[in-house]
Amino acid sequence: MSHPEDLLADYVDGALDERERAAVDAHLLGCARCSVELRQAGAARAALSELESVPVPFGVTGPVLAEAGRRFERRPGVAWGRFQWAAGLAAAAAVVAVVALNVGGEDAQNAAAPERTTAVAGGTGAAGGAEAAAPGVTFGGLERQTDVNYDEAGIQAVASEAAGAIVEAGDARGSQAAFATSAEDSKERTSLAKECVDRSGVRGPNDVLIRLIEAQFEGTAAFIGVFSEGPGAGQAPDHVVVFVVAKDDCRILSTASQRIPSG
Amino acid sequence: MPEPPARDEDLVRRYLSGDRAAFAALVERHERRVYNLALRMTGREEDARDATQDAFLTVLRKLSSFRGEAAFTTWLHRVTVNACYDLLRKRQRAPLLDRGEDDRPALEPPPAPDHADASSLSMDVQQALMQVPEDFRAVMILHDVHDLRQEEVAAIVGVPIGTVKSRLHRGRIALARAMGIEQREPVSGDPEGPPASGGSPGASRSGERAEAAGPSEGTVTP
Repeated sequence: MSHPEDLLADYVDGALDERERAAVDAHLLGCARCSVELRQAGAARAALSELESVPVPFGVTGPVLAEAGRRFERRPGVAWGRFQWAAGLAAAAAVVAVVALNVGGEDAQNAAAPERTTAVAGGTGAAGGAEAAAPGVTFGGLERQTDVNYDEAGIQAVASEAAGAIVEAGDARGSQAAFATSAEDSKERTSLAKECVDRSGVRGPNDVLIRLIEAQFEGTAAFIGVFSEGPGAGQAPDHVVVFVVAKDDCRILSTASQRIPSG
Repeated sequence: MPEPPARDEDLVRRYLSGDRAAFAALVERHERRVYNLALRMTGREEDARDATQDAFLTVLRKLSSFRGEAAFTTWLHRVTVNACYDLLRKRQRAPLLDRGEDDRPALEPPPAPDHADASSLSMDVQQALMQVPEDFRAVMILHDVHDLRQEEVAAIVGVPIGTVKSRLHRGRIALARAMGIEQREPVSGDPEGPPASGGSPGASRSGERAEAAGPSEGTVTP
């Protein structure tokens, strides 16, 4: 027996005209196979139509918009790059002051650690992550060091410095200097950088972001995320881990970790 | 009088002529559609996130070569489906990463549907969906979940409309079997005659047929 295969989907959808439907109905009277199939197809279609649309989780499209922005910066004749630079300057004046310490130093690769002075709760936590602070070292916003080119040793140094900063902060409570990044541009970039580091999938459940740097890694534009990592449950962190991800696609470029000396 | 919302194609043109916000508007307008398509195709939130990003990054990269021969949404859907295929292929190449974890429910046989509440029902459907071959799954999701017309599905997937119809039908049957619905033919004859859903199209959307189906036998036919 030949089966009216080409009509069965539309039969289930109720999209056949009278004549076609009558033809299928006539066929069904003598065809158990098609009857079963139509019952199955109808049930499947009903189940599919019950699937609900879910909202897009936070942070999915951020990196895409960031990439769109970068493309603009690279396009000649578009004023955005200049505008952004000006906005960045205004926004991050305090950051620039801190970073200037590094740029002025003789070894730009091994950028000295601003985190001893950057332990502040600025207005930049807007990106939504629950950033429970490591003792004394609080995430203060994205640091732009786009002229600094880190290498493996430099990343390891960042990890070591962060571990040292956590120890120091634990020793001398309340002696933190502050800076705040507040302009929209800076907030936006901070959340984009966070998303990029998060998206790389390397961040563990107990990792707390303490520092985020926009720089280069061996010549590639990168975000460097510095996290304290501990056993969780409110216990003190015991490691610093550093993840370096490419700015353009958030792939992992390098990692480093450093044990936090206890006591 | 309020301005009508800009057409997608106009937003593309505006972006290409230097309006950065136009791309953000396109993303905002379509992200939910893209993400949900990816979620149904890949079955995992993590993969859906990646596929969504891959799709929009492809759009961004190729926007300058978008000539408007197809509607923007058709093109966007096509790019998204392809991003899902790529991701699923990658996932197949590294199967060890996906097995044995509790976030890989598709390998479990679906539980009996008769005591399913709404949310676990949709989870069962999603699990069953993952056992339907990709090409069929894509057509079903586009047509039965996203309510796109067969003509548009054909344009997205790049096959003739007859192929869409047959993939729809075959895919639905595969899904029903994966859900454990009526795996066996009636013993002899069919005393009830043709299924009621054929006569009244509305009935096929109401869901009662899924609940009326017999309990799962615990086996899964991929």
